[in-house]
Amino acid sequence: MPSSTPARAALAAIVISALSGVVDAATEPAIDQLRLIAPAAPGGGWDQTARVMQQVLQRAGIARSAPVENIPGAAGTIGLARFVGSEQGRGDAILVSGLIMLGGIVMHRSPVTLRDVTPIARLTGEYEAIVVPANSPFRTLSDMIRALKERPESLSWGGGSAGGSDQILAGLVAEAVGVSPGRINYVAFSGGGESLSAILGGQVSLGINGLAELEPQIQAGTVRALAISSAERLPGLDVPTLREQGVDVEFENWRSVVAPPGIAPRDRLRLESVIAAMVATPEWRAALDRYRWIDRYLPGDAFAGFVDREEARVRTTLQQLDAGQRGGGALASASAYPSFVLSGLALCAVAALVSGRSMSRTKGSRISRPKLSGTVWWIGLALVINLAMAETIGFVAASTAMFWLTARAFDDRHPIRDGLFAIATAITAYLVFGRLLQLPLPAGALEHLI
Amino acid sequence: MSAFALRHLAWALVGTTLGTAIGVLPGIGPALTVAVLLPVTFSLDPISAFIMFGGIYSGAMYGGSTTSILLNTPGETGSIATAIDGYMMARQGRGAAALTTAAIGSFVAGTLATVALTFFAPPLASAALRFGPAEYFALTVVAFTTVSLLLGPSRVKGLFSLFLGLSVGLVGIDQLTGDARFSFGLPQLLDGIDVVILVIGLFAVGETIFQAWQYGRSEPEAVVLHDFTGMNRDEWRRSWGSWLRGAAIGFPLGVLPCGGTVIPTFVSYATEKRLSREPERFGQGAIEGVAGPEAANNAAAAGVLVPLLTLGLPSSATAAVLLTAFQQYGLQPGPLLFTSRPDLVWTLIASLYIGNVMLLVLNLPLVGVWARVMLMPRRLLFAGILVLASLGAYSLNGSLVDLVILYLVGAVGCVMRIYDVPLVPAVLGLVLGPLSELQFRRAMAISEGDLSVFVTRPISAVLLLAAATLLFGSRLVTKRLSTDDDVRSVRL
Repeated sequence: MPSSTPARAALAAIVISALSGVVDAATEPAIDQLRLIAPAAPGGGWDQTARVMQQVLQRAGIARSAPVENIPGAAGTIGLARFVGSEQGRGDAILVSGLIMLGGIVMHRSPVTLRDVTPIARLTGEYEAIVVPANSPFRTLSDMIRALKERPESLSWGGGSAGGSDQILAGLVAEAVGVSPGRINYVAFSGGGESLSAILGGQVSLGINGLAELEPQIQAGTVRALAISSAERLPGLDVPTLREQGVDVEFENWRSVVAPPGIAPRDRLRLESVIAAMVATPEWRAALDRYRWIDRYLPGDAFAGFVDREEARVRTTLQQLDAGQRGGGALASASAYPSFVLSGLALCAVAALVSGRSMSRTKGSRISRPKLSGTVWWIGLALVINLAMAETIGFVAASTAMFWLTARAFDDRHPIRDGLFAIATAITAYLVFGRLLQLPLPAGALEHLI
Repeated sequence: MSAFALRHLAWALVGTTLGTAIGVLPGIGPALTVAVLLPVTFSLDPISAFIMFGGIYSGAMYGGSTTSILLNTPGETGSIATAIDGYMMARQGRGAAALTTAAIGSFVAGTLATVALTFFAPPLASAALRFGPAEYFALTVVAFTTVSLLLGPSRVKGLFSLFLGLSVGLVGIDQLTGDARFSFGLPQLLDGIDVVILVIGLFAVGETIFQAWQYGRSEPEAVVLHDFTGMNRDEWRRSWGSWLRGAAIGFPLGVLPCGGTVIPTFVSYATEKRLSREPERFGQGAIEGVAGPEAANNAAAAGVLVPLLTLGLPSSATAAVLLTAFQQYGLQPGPLLFTSRPDLVWTLIASLYIGNVMLLVLNLPLVGVWARVMLMPRRLLFAGILVLASLGAYSLNGSLVDLVILYLVGAVGCVMRIYDVPLVPAVLGLVLGPLSELQFRRAMAISEGDLSVFVTRPISAVLLLAAATLLFGSRLVTKRLSTDDDVRSVRL
């Protein structure tokens, strides 16, 4: 059969690349495995950075394998907290981080900060641009600033999530032109796509977003750029800077990598040299170009000092933003809807109780409830055991125990056969999803043997 | 030439197989599936890689329906609606028919939507841009009124379930201000409770606990006669209209990013129920309730590609991952995507057609095999469901907290079953509540608190009028029909 050979070759290629990454046989990798943790969902900037690093590290043969793990949530602070908690002292993991994480730390009063990790290096920066829809009355930045000074609330700014780089820049610009940042009518959208479509459709007065996302639209003429946040004009892009238009703000959304706290000096040196080797490869250069990232490589202690200065700047700006009132009045406030929902829930609960009671009274007897059968406790035990064992002993043992206990709950006549089924299911599931497809599953001693 | 084509077909096959395999796992949606499989494509030439993306994308959208139907465990949010009647069909021995209508429905709707994508993408995309927060809010109001039909026989219990879902939706960071609400100091709750966790908890874990609670060791029902041969003539007759309507509902709602694939599938389900001559069969194993939503979710998946390919706008997480994948091959996102590298864009569109055919070829012969899962002893079936559900919930964020939430929701689901409280309204509340609140407040922020935007903007006004007609008009119609019944003897 002619089709079987390519199909088999394809499968073999997948198995090999998924298990070990594509390895250049000629050079010895500097590190066997480097786990890249992106504290965001697939699709965002940090995830993109991690996946580009994965590709460069594996292709250039710097790391034999570099699996990416996503721990999304709360502007990266959930990933940061988990990284500090569970990777302590491990020299084979790095976390992608950046300016937005500083914003998240301030906004969500995170107990864990970037001071709690080992700084490795700043990698990239991305400029931001302020744009208006193509049919907007604003031709230049000064048109916009005049309207802003007249009545700040009348301009709606569409950008990314609250406390993120876009809102920080909006605050910095407002402050620089003498408008209280608290009076900025900032409308947060989730992700670049959503805010971009609001700008393109003219739903907001102006948009503020990363240049990489906006540049194609600027080139196509679907939006008009008023300013970019770089120090000087960029080649090939005819857009004036904020500074040359009298707004003294320079800003970029930088991204970096950090290592777990408490790692050995030897491990720190090795990670720093791995990153230094990575940024020197032609593959990394090509990626910078492709994603419109600026090279902002800054290793070690210099990077740590930079983070401290940035944190101070972000903290002041966000506190000013937070202190002000927000546009939209009472209907747009955060508390109107929760009170509506909670009172609705209480009302429905009362109504359900009343109608349930009156029904049972008219029918003369209570609705027959199924009797509690003893087997349900076995299920409860199965779930509790799985919770207790999963991260301490490992996925395979925990799942085996849960499978066996659940099967026993329904029928206890085949304990040995069910035990074998349990082990087979757990090992198969681990191999397929944990190993082949590299999903994050808790691994213990047993998993390292497989 | 033929070897070249065969090689591409082989990649399409590999893509659909892998996509289906991961899509089957509860909790792992298409976004993560594509992201996980991205490294695999690094070593391929662009055309092979794009063909594989098409396969992975279609496969991931389809994979969720199998576990939904057979195990009552939706693989991703788009197949929640499928579980309601699909699982009932499987329990009645019609699992093979449910899987067949899902596979053919996915194929029909996927292909129709790809045709629409091929020919009408640019005008559709610019129409979608006319939707702002006010219009999206009006759209959620329409969705609320459409699916209000799914509240179940008891209004009070249905509303209670709905508000339960709305309350769960309150948990997490308020997107507009960035302030945490109802997170009880737990950082893991800052991003809210994932709808997938709620669904797997209520459906799969809840059902397992309930079965153990109610029946324990006694076999609950008489032996069902299982039929593994696919659909009979009557089921074909019932399905085809639902496939077409599902495609017609799913595609435009995919173009407009609003609530992912949950909204189109439930709107399709509610429409089928409303149009049915025997609405009481819904929830008891009506094949239309599987055919419609399955068609809708595949059509919506193709719809998502419209803003992505024409405007460079990723309107879902999956689209954002696809965009990253495009950039690997030097394809710049943006309005010039179609014109700068038309070869790659057309390859991707062509691969969607191939992927759809591949899915059908791959899955139809296996329908009978999968359906035999229902013959497994109950003890092994439920044990397997718990392992699979826990695996999916854990790998969503790699967090034990999600497992704790999953099991707690499972316990709540069991209690709701005991007291006959319907589960679906809770899911709808969790999806629709936060969405409509967010769009409402965005609209208010932009208009500076002026409520009239909802009626002065034409699209929003039309949508709200449609919602009002749905809510009050249908009641008037049924009232008139019931009084005129003897004269005209019409039934709707």
